[in-house]
Amino acid sequence: MAAPPSSRLQSMLQAAVQSVQWTYSLFWQLCPQQGILIWADGYYNGAIKTRKTVQPMEVSAEEASLQRSQQLRELYDSLSAGETNQPARRPCAALSPEDLTESEWFYLMCVSFSFQPGVGLPGKAYARRQHVWLTGANEVDSKTFSRAILAKSARVQTVVCIPLLDGVVEFGTTDKVPEDLGFVQHVKSFFTDAHHQNPPPPKPALSEHSTSNPATSSDHTRFHSPPVPAIYAAADPPVTDDQEDDEDDEDDDEEEPESDSVETGRNSRQVTGGNTQAVVAAEPSELMQLEMSEDIRLGSPDDASNNLDSNFNMLTMGQSDNPADQQRRADSFRAESSRRWPMLQDSFVNSSLQPPPSEEPPLDDLSQEDTHYSQTVSTILHDQPTRWADSSPSGYVTYSSQSAFAKWTTRVDHLLNVPAEGTSQWLLKYVLFSVPFLHGKYRDENSPKSRDTDASARFRKGTPQDELSANHVLAERRRREKLNERFIILRSLVPFVTKMDKASILGDTIEYVKQLLKKIQDLEARNRQMEADQKSRMGESLQRTSSLKEQRSGATVTDRGRAVGSGVGSDKRKLRIVEGSAGGAKPKMVELPAPPTETSVEVSIIESDALLELQCGYKEGLLLDIMQLLRELRIEATTVQSSLNNGAFVAELRAKVRESVNGKKASIVEVKRAINQIIPHL
Amino acid sequence: MENSTQESHLRPDNSVTYESPYPLYAMAFSSTPSRILHHGQRIALGSFIEDYNNRVDIVSFDPETLLIKPHPNLSVEHPYPPTKLMFHPNRKSSTSDLLASSGDYLRLWEVRDSSIEPLSVLNNSKTSEFCAPLTSFDWNDIEPKRIGTSSIDTTCTIWDIEKGAVETQLIAHDKEVYDIAWGEARVFASVSADGSVRIFDLRDKEHSTIIYESPQPDTPLLRLAWNKQDLRYMATILMDSNKVVILDIRSPTMPVAELERHRASVNAIAWAPQSYRHICSAGDDTQALIWELPTVAGPNGIDPMSMYSAGSEINQLQWSAAQPDWIAVAFSNKMQLLKV
Repeated sequence: MAAPPSSRLQSMLQAAVQSVQWTYSLFWQLCPQQGILIWADGYYNGAIKTRKTVQPMEVSAEEASLQRSQQLRELYDSLSAGETNQPARRPCAALSPEDLTESEWFYLMCVSFSFQPGVGLPGKAYARRQHVWLTGANEVDSKTFSRAILAKSARVQTVVCIPLLDGVVEFGTTDKVPEDLGFVQHVKSFFTDAHHQNPPPPKPALSEHSTSNPATSSDHTRFHSPPVPAIYAAADPPVTDDQEDDEDDEDDDEEEPESDSVETGRNSRQVTGGNTQAVVAAEPSELMQLEMSEDIRLGSPDDASNNLDSNFNMLTMGQSDNPADQQRRADSFRAESSRRWPMLQDSFVNSSLQPPPSEEPPLDDLSQEDTHYSQTVSTILHDQPTRWADSSPSGYVTYSSQSAFAKWTTRVDHLLNVPAEGTSQWLLKYVLFSVPFLHGKYRDENSPKSRDTDASARFRKGTPQDELSANHVLAERRRREKLNERFIILRSLVPFVTKMDKASILGDTIEYVKQLLKKIQDLEARNRQMEADQKSRMGESLQRTSSLKEQRSGATVTDRGRAVGSGVGSDKRKLRIVEGSAGGAKPKMVELPAPPTETSVEVSIIESDALLELQCGYKEGLLLDIMQLLRELRIEATTVQSSLNNGAFVAELRAKVRESVNGKKASIVEVKRAINQIIPHL
Repeated sequence: MENSTQESHLRPDNSVTYESPYPLYAMAFSSTPSRILHHGQRIALGSFIEDYNNRVDIVSFDPETLLIKPHPNLSVEHPYPPTKLMFHPNRKSSTSDLLASSGDYLRLWEVRDSSIEPLSVLNNSKTSEFCAPLTSFDWNDIEPKRIGTSSIDTTCTIWDIEKGAVETQLIAHDKEVYDIAWGEARVFASVSADGSVRIFDLRDKEHSTIIYESPQPDTPLLRLAWNKQDLRYMATILMDSNKVVILDIRSPTMPVAELERHRASVNAIAWAPQSYRHICSAGDDTQALIWELPTVAGPNGIDPMSMYSAGSEINQLQWSAAQPDWIAVAFSNKMQLLKV
């Protein structure tokens, strides 16, 4: 039977679910190209939280519900298309996740699921052409029912899948309804090809139509029981599940692989090695979630925005694993078609470990990011079993009497030296926050001459690579020495240098240059002024001799010419005046070293370059004494300038400071003191 | 410093103390089993001196005689405190061992019985420009030629130490990266001052996944530990927080558990090497706590299994697979090995 057109299908779904007052109905359709069952249509008949409609007027209940289903579908589409971006383009009357009840959310999420024939409730129903009934859908683990977590939060307790119309019709309700064949027949009646909108409910005399048989129901029982494998039982308390653990290997093998691809590894080991490992295998992610934190509410519309991603992630996890597992299960199922619950040992051992699937239809709906991440996680967990095999699975950490650790108590009277003041995590913070920057600072200090304007060059390598180290060190040293030398020269040019360090030298130089510039300006102005005066005076005197009035002070030549004409005397006078003014205009830039009136000893040592400036009284052989003293201090003079003026001795020496025997170099203070001792003081 | 109620628990058979001349921070166990070594298990200790001159010393621990033997000639200088020390994870040779240290650069040393030689300095700046100092690193135990380093310039660099070359460098975070941990041969996670734990897959360098963000935005996460026994789980600690946050890589953003029994901030965490659900944490409250992660959490949170109080704030914790019965703690200038 071909699938009926959608409007008819929907109305059939609607009718069916409303007649039994269940929460939802939906139709899984077999997609021929992909060979899987996908969500085709559905009808939501359950509780609604927020009603959002476009029409202001009241609509009938039926229409409202229909609308709701459509809105839910729209919401799903927009969510899956837009990832976490809150849809800005959707009409404001459209639903957003916060508006949904839990069961609506469940309904919506169902859209994203798909099943291969034979896999999952719908898949099984389809493959066996027989209905599948699951009570306690919210209590089983995800192996039995892949939407168990969603069901739990939605409180959907019963799910029934009935193969119909070349697909599977699924019904779900929040009530716990035991298996009822009458129900199955009843709803089936809604989906007949005949144009019966409301077929009469079938009579109770169902036995002849019954498609189930005792064997089937027993299978169902087995199906219902969660296949908690032995190792689960050993390691963890079983999931909140009131049905007894079915340790049947068949169940184990069949059901387990649904959740994680890691289980392939585990299962093959399990099959071969038995279930005695104390190490817990990877449980379904959702399970662990439930156990470890009660606060997690998957599939909850209430915490919409943030968890959407995680929800989708969870789904991705579910999805990414499903197809691989489904495939395997399908394989195994097909391989042993005669038995309903095939022994999968053989097929398991034979089946290769499947790599995580990359292209799966459900994943296309979800974001790319999740695909990448889920692949990563799958790879990690996939490898895990092999790692466990290597490491010894022995030993829990148990508290032994020999332990240095005491059993935990909450007694407060432990004498703890809790640091009251001082920062917390002081040492850790120092290591992380301060130490890395110390390295940069050290490098900076270590090559202090590197005052490049290029900021990046500030952090120079302190310890260059072995191959380049020699070259770099030499180049660096030469550069430093050059700089030192120039600093010394600068120091000697600039008077009034107070301190000997480079910053001060530069600072003082700057001041000095400023002063000089100012002085130049002043003097130039004065010069012009004076020349103007000269001109005006000259002009007066020349006016007597010439009729022309000279206005330009710069016209000295003309004047001169005139003056010459007027007589040598005036020429001389002019010249004198000019000289005088010129002399006056000449700035006294460099203070002619006045004869020293006091003793001064200036010593400047930068690394191994030294500059000595000395003025003091003179005595015979003073220079020789000084040179000898310097030699004793292991200071090698390279340049000496000295002069003697009226008994005042002025000297300037540049020298290199060498290390003495014990590796020490003379310091500025030492040198100064030594010199002061031998020179005569004015 | 003597804490009578707790120290009395210490006996010569369940603890060994080594007193160092300077405060200690970085600590590492060698992976070479002690039985094939002359003197016992090698332990590397990094000093914490607020100065340029720091040291890395190697001592030996003999679990039979419960003695720690210092080796004066197995000692090297290190510029500023090493931020992390780690031995080669799979070394089987008894003659030489490889030790890595992080600080200004990633350095490799060859440790022999009687000498320790620098092997190489791994510097990934091609020019003489700034090479960002490292806050931490991790040695991949599946692919031991791979070391991942984390740095204050927000990047993580993956080194191939056999070639001495950079395999790749990723801009991992928006702020300084404080710790890095390998999960698998090509997957690692890192934590940063931007408060996020991110997982990176070298097969797909374009994408990384944030699996946790600190609840107060921009609270730095200082340390990260990936459970090598069960790769689903990771632990991290926040700045100024007494919580140990346990994460499940399959469920991003939602921590699986928050262990909140320390009375002051936590400084170090270490998963048990022999069990998949035990973890040890140590902090400023001078306590080291061993926790057993249950499958179902009680209503009041999770209580530790056992505890130990040292004399002062515990700054470092190491629980090595080579000595699964012993936990090493470092506080002030002491290193203590405690029997579990």
